[in-house]
Amino acid sequence: MAFLCLHPLSDLQEPSSPSWLGSRSQREHRRQGDAPRWKPSVILGFGCASFASPPCPRIADFQDVLKEPTIALEKLRELSFSGIPCEGGLRCLCWKILLNYLPLERASWTSILAKQRELYSQFLREMIIQPGIAKANMGVSREDVTFEDHPLNPNPDSRWNTYFRDNEVLLQIDKDVRRLCPDISFFQRATEYPCLLILDPQNEFETLRKRVEQTTLKSQTVARNRSGVTNMSSPHKLSASSSPNEYEVLPNGCEAHWEVVERILFIYAKLNPGIAYVQGMNEIVGPLYYTFATDPNSEWKEHAEADTFFCFTNLMAEIRDNFIKSLDDSQCGITYKMEKVYSTLKDKDVELYLKLQEQNIKPQFFAFRWLTLLLSQEFLLPDVIRIWDSLFADDSRFDFLLLVCCAMLILIREQLLEGDFTINMRLLQMSARSYRKPRSSKTRSSLAARGPGLEEKTLTLCPGFWDTQMPVGSQPEGKLQEWPAPDLLTLGCSHRGTLCHAPS
Amino acid sequence: MTYAYLFKYIIIGDTGVGKSCLLLQFTDKRFQPVHDLTIGVEFGARMVNIDGKQIKLQIWDTAGQESFRSITRSYYRGAAGALLVYDITRRETFNHLTSWLEDARQHSSSNMVIMLIGNKSDLESRRDVKREEGEAFAREHGLIFMETSAKTACNVEEAFINTAKEIYRKIQQGLFDVHNEANGIKIGPQQCISTSVGPSASQRNSRDVGSNSGCC
Repeated sequence: MAFLCLHPLSDLQEPSSPSWLGSRSQREHRRQGDAPRWKPSVILGFGCASFASPPCPRIADFQDVLKEPTIALEKLRELSFSGIPCEGGLRCLCWKILLNYLPLERASWTSILAKQRELYSQFLREMIIQPGIAKANMGVSREDVTFEDHPLNPNPDSRWNTYFRDNEVLLQIDKDVRRLCPDISFFQRATEYPCLLILDPQNEFETLRKRVEQTTLKSQTVARNRSGVTNMSSPHKLSASSSPNEYEVLPNGCEAHWEVVERILFIYAKLNPGIAYVQGMNEIVGPLYYTFATDPNSEWKEHAEADTFFCFTNLMAEIRDNFIKSLDDSQCGITYKMEKVYSTLKDKDVELYLKLQEQNIKPQFFAFRWLTLLLSQEFLLPDVIRIWDSLFADDSRFDFLLLVCCAMLILIREQLLEGDFTINMRLLQMSARSYRKPRSSKTRSSLAARGPGLEEKTLTLCPGFWDTQMPVGSQPEGKLQEWPAPDLLTLGCSHRGTLCHAPS
Repeated sequence: MTYAYLFKYIIIGDTGVGKSCLLLQFTDKRFQPVHDLTIGVEFGARMVNIDGKQIKLQIWDTAGQESFRSITRSYYRGAAGALLVYDITRRETFNHLTSWLEDARQHSSSNMVIMLIGNKSDLESRRDVKREEGEAFAREHGLIFMETSAKTACNVEEAFINTAKEIYRKIQQGLFDVHNEANGIKIGPQQCISTSVGPSASQRNSRDVGSNSGCC
């Protein structure tokens, strides 16, 4: 998959690298051919690089809070708000606490984790393996159709009926997860810990991937019959169309990370039939799963799937209204939040607000995606993860997101005030991810020019933030557009009225 | 940057048929094999030339999942053209055309020009919907039809431009009220000056447009 290799982040999961940041910044220095100007501990701020020694005081701060028998949530939130170090799996642990997966009492963690992970295994057995077994049997043995339940059973309670209904949701999920985070190769790669329950060679359980392939085949057959065409296409051709060749096929016994995300979303849809699956949920699971599946703590990494599922479920409990279309126009729905972005902007920068109003640029045109996906499509994955540290630490739960959105507007206010409708729409809709470019040293230099203190502070606050550049030619006018250097989160914080300083 | 007219388009159709890729190919002349999932709406614009007139196309690319349709609908309003896209390698995307069409017709101006597009024509070996079937559907429902490939750029320009030509033709025939922005058509800034003088000026303007086409 050549396109994946073009991206500088495609080695995001280099097994030997302590974190993508470490290896990437080192490479950066090599490429620029000058001496490292930023010590890793400064660039990475939170001591992400394990080679930073002595340990960053921030790590010690986190460790102090986390070693208490009962964790002081307020203190943890305050620390996390300015970014969580990934060293030693601190981020994974903090996210689990901030998302209410782990209780504040340390002593209960082991038993809770064991219980929840077992519960998840049970979900897998009930919702993925069970229907598959029956199906596999059906294929080889005739007598199955004489069982009480069979694929043609018209009873709405029939397990088969449910199976076919679920397949529609599954097909939708499948299309979306296959193209999750296309700018990095992580989700296409094989997992380190394949789900033994399902990939057990002894049992040949049906994986979701196989189920999708067979479902596509089936629905095509039905469609042909309905239109009166009796000629069936050759099975070879059908299977070719159901497993598009643009996706890499992994050998038996392996599964790609996207398949894990698919299972998580499928089980969530099964357990939450009222909302089931809505496009965009995949973009919420993505960063969570990536974080947990790259946990330096291998004991926890092994359970990334179950842990992601529960953290995702808890996170969705807080943001699910964004995904429910019947709530769109209610007080808790997305429309209200989008308008809140504009009313906040009116407060903070009335000139810009009036300009956008005058051009009839509605928040729906851009803030819908920003808010629904918690900015996960707007920035490169590492930056998204850093922003989420702050969002998860926000005690008023995602009010901070509105401020970040506002800050994103204010940071490009000069361009917006100059631009016409078309230019401004392109500006607002451009995501860093879809227009990625190698990191530019120019951006950093201009940052350094503002003084070493600022550089250190901003980099500490949000490492990698300056990578979110726009490409030449992405606009009709061909003008290079960059998100300006000032710190988005700092700006967001200043609006919040909270002192958000870089730790020394 | 001046233009005679601005036409507003929407692109609709099932998830993964290549709506965003068509837009990207048309506006940026590049192909992204795996495009980010479209959430909400994406926007693109490009200038084209029809009969010597500069026409600005303002294109709204929508999300494919049904659940987003309530949001998608607000973009339907005031579109002069729609590209209704299916994937020639996936029959179900063709089967859903009727429901997309109903939706589009219900929420837009009756004059909206609809171009039916069978995308991914480069994947001939995996073809699941015959070209003739697309043509028949288009004939039956009064749509223009083309097969395109966002990957090879085959027919992409043509799809957008032919839609514009048809809208332009309808303007000349007087089928569109170009002064009502709800129809998805806006007269360019320069033209505005002459037309804003009064009704007689605007009539003269539309006659000019008409005579232009007569020459061609």
